[in-house]
Amino acid sequence: MRRVVCVWLPTWATDRLRRTPGAPPPDRPLLLATRSGSRRIVTAADAAAQALGVRPGMAVAQAQAMTAGLDIRDADPAGDAVALKRLAAWALRYTPVVAADPPDGLVLDVAGASHLAGGEAALLDDLCTRLARAGVAARGAIADTWAAAWGLARYAPGTITPVGAGVAAVAGLPVAALRLEPDLVRALRGLGFDTVGELVAAPQRSLALRFGTALMGRLDAIAGRAHESIVPVLPPSIPHARLVIAEPLGHLRGLEIAVERLASQLCEELDQRSLGARRLDLRLRHVDHRLSALRVGTSRATHDAAHIIRLFRERLPTIDPGCGIEDAVLVASQVERLEFRQLATPFTEHETADLAVLVDCLAGRVGAHRIYRLAPVESDIPERSVTRVPALAPATGRSWADGPRPQRLFEPPEPIRVVALLPDHPPVLYVWKDRRRRVIASDGPDCVAGEWWRDDAETVLVREYFRIEDEDGLRLWLFRVSGPDGQHWFVHGVFA
Amino acid sequence: MTDAAYAELQVTTHFSFLRGASSCEELFAAAAQLGLPALGITDRNSLAGVVRAHEAAKVTGVRFVLGTRLDLRDDTSLLVYPTDQAAYARLTRLLTIGKRRAGKGACDLGWDDVLTHGAGQVAVLLGDLPDAALGRSLGRLREGFGDRGYLALTRRFKAREHIRLGRLVALARQARMPTVAVNDVLYHCAARRVLQDVVTCIREGCTIDDAGFRRERSFGRWLKPPEEMARLFARYPDAIAGTLEIVGRCRFSLDELRYTYPREIAIEGLTAQQALEQLTWQGAAQRYPAGVPTRVEVQLRHELRLIAELDYAPYFLTVYSIVRFARSRDILCQGRGSAANSAVCYVLGVTAIDPERNDLLFERFVSAERREPPDIDIDFEHDRREEVIQWIYETYGRDHAALAATVIRYRARSAMREVGKALGLPEDFTGELAKMTWAWDEAGVTETQVQELNLNAEDRRLRQTLEFARQLMGAPRHLSQHPGGFVLTLTPLIDLVPIEPAAMADRQIIEWDKDDIDALGMMKVDVLGLGMLGCLRRFF
Repeated sequence: MRRVVCVWLPTWATDRLRRTPGAPPPDRPLLLATRSGSRRIVTAADAAAQALGVRPGMAVAQAQAMTAGLDIRDADPAGDAVALKRLAAWALRYTPVVAADPPDGLVLDVAGASHLAGGEAALLDDLCTRLARAGVAARGAIADTWAAAWGLARYAPGTITPVGAGVAAVAGLPVAALRLEPDLVRALRGLGFDTVGELVAAPQRSLALRFGTALMGRLDAIAGRAHESIVPVLPPSIPHARLVIAEPLGHLRGLEIAVERLASQLCEELDQRSLGARRLDLRLRHVDHRLSALRVGTSRATHDAAHIIRLFRERLPTIDPGCGIEDAVLVASQVERLEFRQLATPFTEHETADLAVLVDCLAGRVGAHRIYRLAPVESDIPERSVTRVPALAPATGRSWADGPRPQRLFEPPEPIRVVALLPDHPPVLYVWKDRRRRVIASDGPDCVAGEWWRDDAETVLVREYFRIEDEDGLRLWLFRVSGPDGQHWFVHGVFA
Repeated sequence: MTDAAYAELQVTTHFSFLRGASSCEELFAAAAQLGLPALGITDRNSLAGVVRAHEAAKVTGVRFVLGTRLDLRDDTSLLVYPTDQAAYARLTRLLTIGKRRAGKGACDLGWDDVLTHGAGQVAVLLGDLPDAALGRSLGRLREGFGDRGYLALTRRFKAREHIRLGRLVALARQARMPTVAVNDVLYHCAARRVLQDVVTCIREGCTIDDAGFRRERSFGRWLKPPEEMARLFARYPDAIAGTLEIVGRCRFSLDELRYTYPREIAIEGLTAQQALEQLTWQGAAQRYPAGVPTRVEVQLRHELRLIAELDYAPYFLTVYSIVRFARSRDILCQGRGSAANSAVCYVLGVTAIDPERNDLLFERFVSAERREPPDIDIDFEHDRREEVIQWIYETYGRDHAALAATVIRYRARSAMREVGKALGLPEDFTGELAKMTWAWDEAGVTETQVQELNLNAEDRRLRQTLEFARQLMGAPRHLSQHPGGFVLTLTPLIDLVPIEPAAMADRQIIEWDKDDIDALGMMKVDVLGLGMLGCLRRFF
């Protein structure tokens, strides 16, 4: 015998949106709308909006005409469905058989599980209360069949039918409670059928002739003659490995062996599920119930036990075993899907070394922020043309600025005294660090305009770069900026 | 001011959509102020801006050298300037071929196309890098254009510039080709650089912060006075002299285009004017079976005299034959607008305003003083208008009939939206701002309106967005087709203006809009669709 709980979330779409950051203030009526042809149609309205008379199915323009100050957002039915699945996974706390009942419900089979919550009434109460506390309006009912519970949750919420009550329990519900197409409901009402009971009492053969199998199927489902199967959501599980140690560990070597065992066990599971760990937590329980933990991160998803062991081995000496450790758990607390990559082909002689292992080891010693690569930024301003990226970041495809760049760039550029003809001739003489030298060769100007979108001052700013060589053979990169207070020269770098 | 020895021959206007940042008017005004004797307008694969430039040149007195920039399939680019009317006709044919081949908004041409249409054109090869590919192009240029070919020299203000220019000159000397200095102008004054960056972002669909090297990186793309150009090219005096040499060779002006209205033979053996008069009196007799009232007769004689004087008879006959065709097919049609002021139109059955019972102002419609071509708009049942359009194509020929273009320009709202996007403002935000203004509002979004939205008007990005949106308003965005304005010609239309395929199948549009057509004295017939006429048809 099944005992089915149906939960109805009448304002699921808007409740969900209210729980996200950036939601409108709670006193503002909220609508969700979608485009249907050239019209915008209300798909959901929260309680405040419904109190003002706005109903799903109405044109947005009509709703706006009825009341001002509505907050109208775009509907996201796909997002609603995904979130409903997550909510179903949460409800696994009550029973292992839970499914999302889109668009706005949950279905649970609590047969043999309700006693854990203190009985069916307590279970239903707990479920609705917890949802309400989280800001999700919920009504529920319990019956022998899914169809009956569905109708009761919507038209007589709170009802818990006696076991084996059959159709009698739903006889008083309106025909809409049968979960029929709206057209069919209208047709039935037109013929004078108002309640489920009237339909059940009517001659079944003529009903079948007139309305076909859709109606009969629902009547069978509600009476339990047809079985509607619930496909339960799978509980999300976190890959982990556990080792209970009979003789508490008191020294480093024992701990290392424990980690080795945990790592290979965990990697087996990761491998089976095609996952790779990005973050691993080692949790140790001591004999005196003290807990200690270690966390390591990886720069690329991994299921390589040797690598994981090496990362932990570096850090294990920081743990003080105290009286001994009797329980160890290794959890892959952050995982990513791991795709198979071909490392070598028969035609390549040597496989490329996996840098990730080295990077993780170095990061473990000096800190991840100290390991980086330089990447180009598409800017003509030399000091902005480079940035630091994580060591294993994929290539951006951006190109380095062309043109000669000095081997050494001064940051900030140093002021220099220069003799040059106006308006744009290269320098003939410079004085820098008390050295006065003639310029024997030069190239320029190379004009670089300021990046006006960063700062007003840069809108008119232009640097004119010159590459010069002096009589001693020193090659410098100079630039001039002209401002309202005259010209200023700087040396920005030295060429080798 | 010293004697001006330099003319700017490579100028991109905002008709190279989302590339140039200044209008023809701004460019010519700036050129006049700087003392440039002539300006060569070279939009990309297009002559869309030439009529505007022609008009601006008349106002400012700066000579206009008509040209275009051809971007070929193999990534070579060259500037082409027709020297006479025959060469101009070849250029419009060339562009038409390229556009037909590539479809709407694009142009697909190769060297062979350019060479077959090259007679009478002066060509300037563009190329910044003195590499082997440029050498090959130079060879082709010499083969095809002989002494009418040049190699462009442009200052980019980048490192190793003089080495690069020196190599280009050497390459040109090797190919025995002269050089010419151009400045690759994108805007009329230095301050426009910022707006040019913004339109680049709109074109590339990125924000200014991510634009990177998609922005124009070379400096100094504004109009410069001749002395400054002579100084910048002091080492290459031949290249400076080359500019005036080209200006001297390219004597073609749009004034030379002789636009001829198609000959209408409504009645064998009669001139258009005689035919129109005969049809008019026949029509009058039918309209007034009891005899033509004196008042109407006087009006008709007056109108016919004016039509004869201005030689508009073929135009009236065209309208008459279109209406007659529609009537023969039982397609409801009705003339409207200023044509309703004409008794001739009434007796020909084009309009339905009885001159006997109404005072007509024929001068509102056709006037000897204004010398503007008459504009007769005719509405047809909208679902059968296509039949009329296809009949026009068949009767006058596809080479003689095409729809006028409509230049879609940035209005307050669209400018606000796209500039906001380019500056990285969130879309809902710019949407709200755009809503504050009316599409045709000249002032754009004002500071007060910003404050009404409770936004911080001091915010730099917001301030810039408002400012650039205001500058962008009025700039053309793309060409679209006019709802029904047909241009008809006697000589092939592709000798007058490039024609491009429209987005709709079996439609083709010319590159000019109705103001351009008016400026050149071309006549157009408006064949419009009116849903209500279709309604009436179904009703009865």
